Amino acid sequence: MNENKGFKNTAITVNMLWICLFVLVPNLIVVVISFLERDPAGFFRWEPTISHYIDLFDPVNARVFTHSLSYSFGTTLLTLAVGYPFGWFLSRVGRRRRPLLLMLVIVPFWTSSLIRTYALVILMKANGVINSLLLTLGLVKGPVSILYTDVAVYVGLVYSLLPFMILPLYAVLEKLDTRLLEAARDLGATRVQVFMKVVLPLSLPGVMAGSIMVFLPSLGLFYIPDLLGGAKSMLVGNFIKNQFLTSGNWPFGSAASVFLILVMVSMMAIYLLVMKRFNRSVMS
Amino acid sequence: MKKWMIFICILLLPAAVLAAKPSVYVYNWTEYMPDEVLSAFQKETGIKVVYSTYESNESMYAKVKLVKGKGYDVVFPSTYFVHKMRNQGLLAPIDRSKLTNFKHLDPMLLDKPYDPGNRYSIPYVWGSTALAYNADHVTPGQMTSWKDLWRPELKNRLVMNDDLREVFGIGLIINGYSVNDTNPDHIRTAFESVKKLMPNIRVFSGDSPKQPLLNLEAHAGMIWNGEAYMAAEEYPAIRYAYPKEGAIFWVDSMVIPKNAKNKDAAHRFIDFILKPEMAKLICEYVGYAPANRTALDLMDRSLKDNPMIFPDPSVVKKGEFQMDVGEAILVYERYWERLKTGL
Repeated sequence: MNENKGFKNTAITVNMLWICLFVLVPNLIVVVISFLERDPAGFFRWEPTISHYIDLFDPVNARVFTHSLSYSFGTTLLTLAVGYPFGWFLSRVGRRRRPLLLMLVIVPFWTSSLIRTYALVILMKANGVINSLLLTLGLVKGPVSILYTDVAVYVGLVYSLLPFMILPLYAVLEKLDTRLLEAARDLGATRVQVFMKVVLPLSLPGVMAGSIMVFLPSLGLFYIPDLLGGAKSMLVGNFIKNQFLTSGNWPFGSAASVFLILVMVSMMAIYLLVMKRFNRSVMS
Repeated sequence: MKKWMIFICILLLPAAVLAAKPSVYVYNWTEYMPDEVLSAFQKETGIKVVYSTYESNESMYAKVKLVKGKGYDVVFPSTYFVHKMRNQGLLAPIDRSKLTNFKHLDPMLLDKPYDPGNRYSIPYVWGSTALAYNADHVTPGQMTSWKDLWRPELKNRLVMNDDLREVFGIGLIINGYSVNDTNPDHIRTAFESVKKLMPNIRVFSGDSPKQPLLNLEAHAGMIWNGEAYMAAEEYPAIRYAYPKEGAIFWVDSMVIPKNAKNKDAAHRFIDFILKPEMAKLICEYVGYAPANRTALDLMDRSLKDNPMIFPDPSVVKKGEFQMDVGEAILVYERYWERLKTGL
C-alpha cells in the first residue's frame, strides 16, 4: 500500500516537473519577452513596453487575425455539417459494424498530416486524379482549378480535423436514449421537431466539444493554407513565424503568440461556462 | 546499487571516447552534403564529424546567435547571412595559409560585396534565381525580362518563391533599383509594382517552386536554377531564362563561428571540401554548381555545358548578389504583410 502511494507520488511529481520545465517555463519566457523592447543586436532588450500589444490592433495585423479566425469558423461549421450526420449514422448502425467504421475514421490519422496534405495535392492538381477523371469522362473541357483556391484549403482543413468532430458527437449520440425519440414521435412530433427539440439539445455537449476541438487546432494549422491555398494570404501562424525568423522581432512575435493563447483560453472559458449552464438546465 | 553504477558507466563510456578523439561540429542545410564526403574526411584525417542540419538561413542564424557561435565549427550561411553575421561579429576570420586548396576556387565568386576579400567566408555552392516557364503554354520569346511576369495572359498562372527579399527584389529591379535597396520610398515603389502582379500569382511556394510548374497549375514564374534543372529533367518543356535586367545570384559559403572550439579542425574540414574530387561529388549530389573551378574539368560535358547550372560569366556580371539590408528588413516585412492581407 505504502509502496503504491510512493509510486503514485513519484509519477505525479515527474509529470508535474516535466510540464513545468517544458510547458510552463517556456511559455512564461514568451510572456516576459512580449513585454520587452526589440533589439536588432540581440533579439530583445530589458526595457519594458506594451507597444507590441498595441501594434497588434493596427489594421494590417488585425486583418491577419480576423482572416485566420474566419478560416477557423468556416472549418468548424463545415466539419459540423459533415461530422454530425456521420456521427448520427455511426451511433445507429449495428453494433458489430461500429468498431470497423470507427477504425476507418481513425486509421488515416496514424500517418503524418503533412504527408496526407501532399496526397491531397496529388488528388487536386491540374494534372491530378480528380481532373484526369473529369477530363476522361468528358465532363469538363480543360482542367478545373481546385488546388491553390479556398476550396482546396477548406477540403484540407476539414479532412484533417474531421475525427475531432466525429468522435465527441458519436460519444454523445450513442448514449442518447432512443425511448425519448419514440416518446416524442408518439406525442405527435414530426421528424424535424424530434430533431430540433430532442436530439439537437441533448447532443449540444458533443457539438460544443467537437467545435472547440476543431476550432482551436485549425488556428495553428498554417501549413495547410500554405500548401493547398498557395500561401497568398497571411495567417497568424505564418505571421508569428515571420516575426521570429525574418524580421528578428521576438517581442512582437511573442505578443502575437500570447494574444493567440488568450483567444484560445477565452474560447475554452466560454465553452466551460456554457456547459455548466447546460448541465444545470438538464438537472432542473 | 552496483547495477546502477555499471549502467551509468556504460552511458558515460561513449562520451569519454568522443572526448578523447578530435572532432569538428558541422552545421549544414539538409541534404547538402553526401555522406561519402564526410566518411572520406574522417578516414583521411581521423577527425570525427558531428553533423547536424537546418532548413532555413533564419533558423540557423537564430540558433548560432543564441549560443553566440559556440558549439558549431563550420556553418553554411547564404550570401546575405554571411554579410549579416560578419557585421554582427559572429564570425571568426579564416586563416588562408591553412587552406592549401583555396586556388581551386572560381575567381568569379570571390571578393564579393557581402565579404570583400573573403576574410570570413569560403564559397561552397552557388546558383541563381531567374525566370521559369512552360514552353507548351508560353512562347519562349515572351520571357526575356522580369517585366514579362506582368503580362495579362499569365493571369493566375505564376509561381513565386515565398521569400520577401526575392519577390520585392523583382519589384526593385524593374524600377531600376538594387535588390539590396534600403530606402523606404524605393521599397514602397517595389511594393506597388508587386501588388499589381498579385492577380497573376497563383501560388507562393515555400518548399519547392518546381511543383506548381510540374502540376501545370503554374505556367511561369521565378525559380532557383537547381529546381528548374530538376523540373526540366522530368518535363522538358520547362525552361529557365536569365532576364535581361539581370538575375539574382546567391552563394552558400562555409564560415567558422567566432567562438568555435575546434578552429583547426574546421580549417582542415573546409580545405578538404575544397578538393576538386569532393566538390564534384557534392555538385552531383546537390544539383547546384560548385564554387570550385578545377572540379569542372572532372565533370561530364553535358552538365558542364548546361547554362542552367553554369551561366556565362557575362550573365553573372549583370546579376546581383543579395546583401543584408539591416533594419530595413522591418520595412520589407511590413509591406509583405500588406501584400498578403491585401491592405
